[in-house]
Amino acid sequence: MTDQTLPNPAVPADDAVTRETFVERYRKPLLGALAVLLFFIAWQAVFLVVPFNALFISKPNLIFSGLAELVVSGELWADLAVSAVPFLYGFTAAVVVGVTIGIVMGWRVRVGYALDPLMTVFYASPLVALAPLLIVFFGVGVSGKAIIIFLLSIFPFIFNAYAGVRAVDRLLINVVRSLGGKEKDLYLKVIVPSVLPYIVAGARIAVGRGLIGVLVGEFFAASEGIGYAIAKFGDLFALDKMFACILSVMIIAVVLTEGIRWAERSAFPWRVGQ
Amino acid sequence: MSELQAVDANISTAAPADDLEAPPKSLWRQLEPTVLGVGSIVALLALWEALPYLVTFAPGTKLFFTTPSQIAGTLWTMFATGTIWAPLSVSASGFALGLGLAIVVGLPLGVLIGRSPTLNAMLDPFITAFNATPRLVFLPLVLLWFGLGLWSKVVIVFIGALFPLLINTYEGVRNSDKLLINVVRSFGAKEWDIARLVVVPNAMPYIVAGLRLAIGRAVLGVVVAEFFGSEDGLGVMMVQAAGQYKVAVVFAGLIVFAGLSLVMTGLVQLLEQRLTRWRPQHAAEY
Repeated sequence: MTDQTLPNPAVPADDAVTRETFVERYRKPLLGALAVLLFFIAWQAVFLVVPFNALFISKPNLIFSGLAELVVSGELWADLAVSAVPFLYGFTAAVVVGVTIGIVMGWRVRVGYALDPLMTVFYASPLVALAPLLIVFFGVGVSGKAIIIFLLSIFPFIFNAYAGVRAVDRLLINVVRSLGGKEKDLYLKVIVPSVLPYIVAGARIAVGRGLIGVLVGEFFAASEGIGYAIAKFGDLFALDKMFACILSVMIIAVVLTEGIRWAERSAFPWRVGQ
Repeated sequence: MSELQAVDANISTAAPADDLEAPPKSLWRQLEPTVLGVGSIVALLALWEALPYLVTFAPGTKLFFTTPSQIAGTLWTMFATGTIWAPLSVSASGFALGLGLAIVVGLPLGVLIGRSPTLNAMLDPFITAFNATPRLVFLPLVLLWFGLGLWSKVVIVFIGALFPLLINTYEGVRNSDKLLINVVRSFGAKEWDIARLVVVPNAMPYIVAGLRLAIGRAVLGVVVAEFFGSEDGLGVMMVQAAGQYKVAVVFAGLIVFAGLSLVMTGLVQLLEQRLTRWRPQHAAEY
C-alpha cells in the first residue's frame, strides 16, 4: 500500500500465505482467545490471595454455574423473550419510519433542507431523558418501552439512509432515465441497492442504542425482562446470577453487532474499507 | 430591488467556484437551505404551541402536555432564580471527571494498541465486547461498588466515553503514513518520538472525531446514571419532575443537556481548527 517498487523489510509481506504456519496465520484470534482465557483465569486466581466477598464480587466458576442454573430453569430464556418483544416492535418501526424519512430527505432536496437541522437537533439531544415521561404516560407495558427503543434507534436509520441516497451515482440515475425507466425503476434498481449498505451500517449503530432503550425501560419499570433481572439480582446481592445476566447481554450485543458487520462484509463486499 | 440584485451578484461572485459548470446561484437558491431548515423548526414549535387551541385533550393527556412557551418560561425561571446551578454543577462535574478520565486513559491506550499488533490482538475481544454492550448494563454493578453519587456516575460516563476515543485513536494511528514512520525511524527515532512526531499528529482528526462521539456518549451516561443512581443532579430533577407531572421541567432539563452537548461539541470544533491548522485542506476532512 505504501509503495510497490521498494520492498519494505519492516512490514511482513501479506502474500506469503503459503509459507505461514498455523500459528502465524491465526495469530490474532489465537492471541485474543488466549487473552480472554487468561483474564478469566486471573479473575479466578486472584481470590486465592485476596479474601473473597460474595456480596461484592463474583468468581468465574460461580458465574458459570449461575448461568447454567438460569439456563436450565428457563428463567434466562423467559426474561430474554420478554425483553425481545418491545425491542422487535420498536426496532421494526424505527427501520420502516427511519428509512422512509431518510430516503425522502435525500431524494427530495427541499425536504432534506427542511428536515436536516430538525433531525440534527433531535439527534443531538439525549432523548433517553424523555424516558421517565414516556413510561409515566404510556405505562409500564410494552408500548412505553417500544416507543423509547423506537426514539433511540430511529436516527441512525434516518441519517444513514439520507447519506446513502445522496451518495447515489447520478450517472446511473441518468442511464435509467435515458433508457425510459420510471420513478419506480429508479427506486428499485438504483436507489435501494446503493442505499442498502448504508442502512445496514446504520442498523449496527441502532442495535446498540435500541439495547440501551430496553435497559432504560426495564430499569425504570418492569416486573420481568433481562434488564429487570439484572437490577433484581443486584438488589438481592445475588452477584453470580447478576454477572451471568450481564454476560448474556454482552454476548447478545456482540452477536448482533458483529453479525451485522459480518452481513455487511459478505453482502456488500465492495463497501469493505469505506 | 436593485440593491437586492447587487447583493445577489456580490454573493454569487464571492461564492467559491467549486463547480465550474454550475450557473451562478440565485439569492433564493443560496438561502433556501437555511430558510427551509429554520422554517421547519419554527413551524414545528408554532404547531406545538398552537396545539392546545386546535385540539381538546382528554383530561388525562392534558396533564402530560406542555408548550414551548411554558418550557421557555420554566427555563428562564430556573436560570433567573438560580435553582438550576446546583443540579447543573453536580451533573457537569460527573461529566467532566468521567470524560477527562476517558481522555487520559483512552488516548495513550489507543496509541499503544495502534502501534503494537500483539497488544491489539489481545485487547481486541474486550474492546469489541465492551463497545458493543450498552454501558447501562453495568449500572447496577457499579452502584453496588461505588454507591449512589458522584463516583458511580463518573464510572458510567468513563466507560461510555472511553471506547469511541480508544477506537478512533487506534484507527488514526493505524492509518498514519508508513513512509513517514520509516523516515523518522531511519533517522534514529525511538518509539516515543515516532508517536510524538508522526503518529499522534496524524491521528488528530480521528481523535477529534472520537472526542465528538465521546461527548455524546458522556452526556447520555450522565443522564442515565442520574436517573437510576444518584441523589442530586439534573437527571434526578427530571425524574422527580416526571413523577410530579411537571412536564415543562423535564423538557427544560432535556434542553440544558442538549445545550451542554452542543457547547462541548463547539469547543471541540474550535480545538480541532487550532490543532489542524498545519494540515492541508483535503486531509482535514475526515
